[in-house]
Amino acid sequence: MLEIIKKVKTVFSNHDDFFIETEIVNDITLYFIGFSTILDVPKSKMYVQQMAASSPTISALFSTIGREVNVDINKINKAVLAGNLVLVSENGQWNAIVDPIAQPLNRSLKEPKNESPIQASMDAFGENIQINIGIIRQRLNTERLCLCSYQVGELEKRNISMLYVAGKAPTSLIEQVERHIKRIDSDIETMDDLNKYFGHRKISPVSHFFATELPIQAIHALKENRVVLFLDHYPFAIIFPHLLRDMVSSANDRNFPFVLAAMLRVFRAIGAIVTLILPALYVSLVSVNPEAFKTDLALFVLKSREGIPLSAFLETITMVILVDLILEAIVRLPKTVGPAVTMVGGIILGQAMVEARLVSNLLVIVITVVVVASSAIIGMQNSLYIRMLKYPILILSSIFGILGLCIGLILTVIYLASLTSNDIPYTTFQIKEEDTT
Amino acid sequence: MTQRLQIGATFIIMYLSFGYLIYPNQIYLLTNTAHWEAVICLGLLQLFLIWIYVKGLNYFPKHDIIDILSQIGRWMVFVLLIPYVINLIALVAVNVRLHTVLINKIFLPRTPYWPILFLLMSISTYTAIKGIGTIMRCSIFFFCMVVPIAIFNILSSVVNFDLHNISPVITPTSNFLLDMRFYYLLGFSSFLYLGFMISKQRTFRPLFFAWISVVLFLLSVVYIPLFIFGQETAVMLPHPFVESMDSIDISWFFFNRQTIFFGIAVIGLVTFTNSLMLWMAGRILQKMWKNQIKKLTQWIVFSSILALTLSLLIPNKSMIDDCFYWGIRVHTFSVIFIPFTIFIYGFFRKKRRMRNEK
Repeated sequence: MLEIIKKVKTVFSNHDDFFIETEIVNDITLYFIGFSTILDVPKSKMYVQQMAASSPTISALFSTIGREVNVDINKINKAVLAGNLVLVSENGQWNAIVDPIAQPLNRSLKEPKNESPIQASMDAFGENIQINIGIIRQRLNTERLCLCSYQVGELEKRNISMLYVAGKAPTSLIEQVERHIKRIDSDIETMDDLNKYFGHRKISPVSHFFATELPIQAIHALKENRVVLFLDHYPFAIIFPHLLRDMVSSANDRNFPFVLAAMLRVFRAIGAIVTLILPALYVSLVSVNPEAFKTDLALFVLKSREGIPLSAFLETITMVILVDLILEAIVRLPKTVGPAVTMVGGIILGQAMVEARLVSNLLVIVITVVVVASSAIIGMQNSLYIRMLKYPILILSSIFGILGLCIGLILTVIYLASLTSNDIPYTTFQIKEEDTT
Repeated sequence: MTQRLQIGATFIIMYLSFGYLIYPNQIYLLTNTAHWEAVICLGLLQLFLIWIYVKGLNYFPKHDIIDILSQIGRWMVFVLLIPYVINLIALVAVNVRLHTVLINKIFLPRTPYWPILFLLMSISTYTAIKGIGTIMRCSIFFFCMVVPIAIFNILSSVVNFDLHNISPVITPTSNFLLDMRFYYLLGFSSFLYLGFMISKQRTFRPLFFAWISVVLFLLSVVYIPLFIFGQETAVMLPHPFVESMDSIDISWFFFNRQTIFFGIAVIGLVTFTNSLMLWMAGRILQKMWKNQIKKLTQWIVFSSILALTLSLLIPNKSMIDDCFYWGIRVHTFSVIFIPFTIFIYGFFRKKRRMRNEK
């Protein structure tokens, strides 16, 4: 056996799906090397046979179908790992890396699963990074759209691609992103692994990135002087930097007239604020500052809490946690069981707890409003962190009442205002265009 | 554009914070009639000082006042800024204590004052540590939180107005111009923070608009108690504006008292103002001792601990008002001397340069 074949075989000796097969093509014996799980072996063989039929010599065949011809052993190993087919001639004089017929491992373009745009194009990004970039290229066909690709990771090499519009995204931003990506020296499995390399936000609930499934959103971000990253096998465009505005405004809004879009955005903002303060407001008005209400309103509130053994804070925190549990359970469970949990949860929350006089009617209303309001925010991540930030405010207001609520809200705002990604504040409204003059 | 908005918002918030508690009392003490004259004269004086200050600062683009004063000489920094820092820390202490008493009265009458003091102080320190960028970005939020409430308070107080209470409106007097106390009221201005913003060109125009709204606000703060109680009663009240808010009862509103809203505005005002003052104190201290490399954070924490201790030392309510007024009086000197020093130095430096170029 040839030296080169032996070497490749030893490298992949522990891989049962690795194959080296000999095949006679045009009276010449060729070695076919690759992974049977990634490439469709019979179809790939047929492809080589067909190409060989029209090529008179072996050199002609290799140069026609090979992406790279006569490469060294390291490159062969890499190509095999990347899912390519490697051809080696019998005498070892010729070898070629061939783009094979691949196994259909990627799902085709489908409708967005995490976002539901209304009155908008219904395609979404998929797992294949090339297709994702293709989608953007197709819709933003300008020579100013630039693409930089990197391979990062320690154990596995993952492809990261950075897209930006030259002359729009600030050069400093592009340089910084490039520097951050080049600094990566461990495996990138999740968004948070990537987040770690983009600045000090280890325990922050707010990520540097905003992930979106919708091409229109990604393109809008590019036009707004931001940078879009793609990670292979990750069906989202990662928009950098993430801004507070992303919580309330989406590119799709503008498919409606301006006034309607503005209304939608105002509602989302109200949703965020209500999620933050409503449970805290309930606790502070019921337990610490009942005198703030008008007398008849105060009496009504007191009546609804008559005979309830739990304190207002305990009552509220129990319900808030319960609701968050149910929301998580619905996401986690298979679609067939999900409705059952929703129903049981609904009965517990809506009826049983009130009838058992564990919580007040008013609180059930408050909690329902909070759940609805927190769902109005764009992006699951945003919704989650707003849901998280309501807890500190709740605790503060259980101690200090309305004062605690105000302080909690102020604290939240100060915290959000203090966040920056590469000197671009999280609370900014727009990123300055690169000055080309 | 954004920065201008932030500077304007900060300007208004700082003035509101100083303006509504002690300021009306001082105006009532100055004159019995035509209070608007005093307010507007004071406003014009302030506007002149702001103009001088901005003009002076514009001689030194990309420098803050500490850099500028240290160009004159290190002694200048010590003479002008050390008293200013001490004054700032004292003002923070008295300001937070004054507002703590008020907040205590409005929201938590049964709670001792010190937990509230700690809470307010810690949040101001946290904001100050986050730096001027964060403070300026927050200013818009605080503006949106405070100003609508203030306007609502002012408009809702109309229900209790009695026009006879303020007459005679037009009896021009200029007696107050001879009164030293009138000039001490300049201490209520808080535009010195402009010198800490580093920018190429500081513009006067947004400040002018902010100034107009501030004068309108101060007029309303002075006149609302007058409209409701009249001069003789208003003079006797410790905090006339708060008392007038307390007197309002709107039947269709779900809150029992207007003061609740007023209290919310106060929380925003006091945290913001204190954080900016703490940051300024920390910044001056950090830049003054450059060779001892200490972080800004440490200086801010040091200042805030000092302020907290000071505020805990003030024994009673009447002392707080007195201390606040004395703090404001001392502040007057900084408000007058710092802008003039910078303007005169900048003017002569420019002249010298032009002569050298010739």
